[in-house]
Amino acid sequence: MRMSLDVVLGGSLLVFAAVVSVVVILPGVTISDKPSADYRPRTELENGGRDVYVANGCTYCHSQYVRWIDWGLGAERVALSGDYIAEQPNLLGSERTGPDLSQAGGEHPDDWHGAHFHNPRHTRPESIMPPFAFLESNRLEALIAYVQSLGFKLADARMERQRKWKKPAVEAFEAGTEANIEWLHGHVPEPWRELPNPYPTTRVGLERGKRIYQGFCIGCHGEVGDGMGPAAARLYPPPLNFTALNGRGATGGILYYQIMNGITGTAMPYFKRELESEKIWAVGDYVAVYFIGESDADTEPKGIDAAYEVEEEITYR
Amino acid sequence: MNSPESAQVDTQSHATALGYMISAGVWMVIGTFAGITAGIELIAPDLLGNIAWLVFGRLRAMHTTIVMFGFAVTMLIGAAFYIVPRLVRVPLFSEKLGMASLFVWNGSLLAGVVALSLGYTQSREYAEMFYPSDIGVVVAFVLMLWNLIVTVMRRKEPVLYVSVWYFVGGLMLSAATYIIGNCMWAGWKGAIFGMPDAVIHWFYGHNVLGLLMTPLAVAAAYYVIPRAAKAPLYSHTLSQIGFWSILIMYTHIGTHHLLQAPAPTWLKLISVVDSIAMTIPVATVLVNLWMTAQGRIGKLTQNPAARFVFVGTIMYLVVCIQGPFQSLPIVQRITHFTHWIPAHAHLAVVGFVGMIGWGTCYFILPEMTGRPIHSKRLANLHYWLMFMGVVSMMVVLTISGLIQGHAWYHGEGVYRVLPSTFLYNVMRVMAGAMIVVSSWIGLYNLLRSIPQAGGARASAGEVAS
Repeated sequence: MRMSLDVVLGGSLLVFAAVVSVVVILPGVTISDKPSADYRPRTELENGGRDVYVANGCTYCHSQYVRWIDWGLGAERVALSGDYIAEQPNLLGSERTGPDLSQAGGEHPDDWHGAHFHNPRHTRPESIMPPFAFLESNRLEALIAYVQSLGFKLADARMERQRKWKKPAVEAFEAGTEANIEWLHGHVPEPWRELPNPYPTTRVGLERGKRIYQGFCIGCHGEVGDGMGPAAARLYPPPLNFTALNGRGATGGILYYQIMNGITGTAMPYFKRELESEKIWAVGDYVAVYFIGESDADTEPKGIDAAYEVEEEITYR
Repeated sequence: MNSPESAQVDTQSHATALGYMISAGVWMVIGTFAGITAGIELIAPDLLGNIAWLVFGRLRAMHTTIVMFGFAVTMLIGAAFYIVPRLVRVPLFSEKLGMASLFVWNGSLLAGVVALSLGYTQSREYAEMFYPSDIGVVVAFVLMLWNLIVTVMRRKEPVLYVSVWYFVGGLMLSAATYIIGNCMWAGWKGAIFGMPDAVIHWFYGHNVLGLLMTPLAVAAAYYVIPRAAKAPLYSHTLSQIGFWSILIMYTHIGTHHLLQAPAPTWLKLISVVDSIAMTIPVATVLVNLWMTAQGRIGKLTQNPAARFVFVGTIMYLVVCIQGPFQSLPIVQRITHFTHWIPAHAHLAVVGFVGMIGWGTCYFILPEMTGRPIHSKRLANLHYWLMFMGVVSMMVVLTISGLIQGHAWYHGEGVYRVLPSTFLYNVMRVMAGAMIVVSSWIGLYNLLRSIPQAGGARASAGEVAS
């Protein structure tokens, strides 16, 4: 074929037009724009927050679609085409330096987000997200409203749950230490309350617990467990002072349950997605030994010792 | 069999070509600096904390926009403004028009990047620049095309060499892709709604590489390699197969970015099939270029300019084996969303397009100025730093990406895996530092190679050496 200017320009335009009609126009026309069952329109405030999200390039680290192979935040609900009908521009994202946010709404209460945006390491010590303390308060408020709307009706349901538990949590805190701890313990199911930590305290166990504490807990509960971490000033009710648990019946089971399940309504998140059983027992025992000053580790009632368990003396050698 | 003719040294000013290439050198210095700054923020997030215009999400967009459009594309457009007139044996239609297009192009990019730093963005990757810049970019494309097409129409050479097809065809389709991809009919929003927006976005996103950067880089390689090897082009037929098949295959594959998103399955299928079919244009182009140089590879590797281009074509092979591979759903389960993706992107833009860009620049500078480049030693240093930088970045990010991908796939959360990437992010900055320094050397060497810009001292230094 002789490649004249006409052939090069005309031919490539022809090819291009054919391709565009197949891969751009055809999907544009045929993709269903029916909203999914969980969809709801965003409020004006939430849309303003989305603009803040766009302006600061949040989309480069946070994707907004959950895949069938995911285990992380929001993994219970795989993304549907109908979730995106109001997205202009789309914020699907192409990298996951931070977690997927498509179901982030209602995961945490608003005050947790305030502390997290001020400096992400205050709530998530190993995060590499930039601090957003430079945002004016109205833009920060809008951004938080947007994040809390992610997941639409599912987010609303989670937010409803946060609000429902926030009220009694605040009341309990304001009623004083004794009443607060009683309220906290009271919501742990009975069998957990009576359960001691079934594994012995060991030096390596405490070291592991410390490592977990520093990666997950220190921002709120502080380096000495007094609830005075850098995030504490922005959280209400504030993080628990562990030293106050001394002599107040905090069993290994209670600590385990609270770490696993979190306390919805407060800034205390659940950690069961991120920490396996051994890590939760280890960090619970670390808190018990160092901050509460009493541990029920390896006391009765306990079952058959796990195969790995060694005698104390050997571990400490 | 035809090849770029070995004409005498042109004495015309080449202001447009040089202007584009100098702009590219400057943009690369800025763009890589933005990149390394963003990289440092990943390992020290509080270092530049709360400086709004330097927040990672804004820097990242500035980095990709500057390096892709400011450096890689601009360098090769500069080459086009020298190579196309040369191949059709007439001077460029209008240097004034060329300078006007450069002014509009640079102005649009600068305005777009400043707007990004202020938080004005259309948010879609590689289509971030705000509406006025979009208009400017399209105007600049039209001015470039006008200039080049009129030049070709006035040609004295009856046969159009393959580089001309790619330069002119690539720029024309890029202008069209830019308008469609940026949804310019939607005005300031620069996007439509929902999944159709994602489909257009990634049609565009991949075509920035496939219809803009790749044709420009391939065109430049088609010019440099036969000349450097002093051999006629191996096959005219392969050139044609390569040209038409890249237009057909590459344009279909954007949706492979959305394989795990709720996009239509038939579209995903097309994207994967054509991603694999991309091996056809890549193989034809590379077979054609390498067979041209067969037995003469030494000629290519001794000269830093030709070595840049030759190694760029090897990078092209690696990128385009990796690309089809990672478009497979079973591979994407691990690689998607991870550092594997920026590893691939850096290899494509810096390793393939960027190295061919700099090599072509070094190769045509002596043809334009009639004297050797300022320093062959600096060019060699430039080459090695850029090569080592991009290869080590590729290796480091690929490892990091595999760590992330496997950990996620087997049930770890993003936050738990994040600390595992720290060391790789440190090494990524070290690799980036090599590319940053290489950009300074490249710009310095380029400026000193131009008599008008380098002044008398450059000539004196050259005599002394």
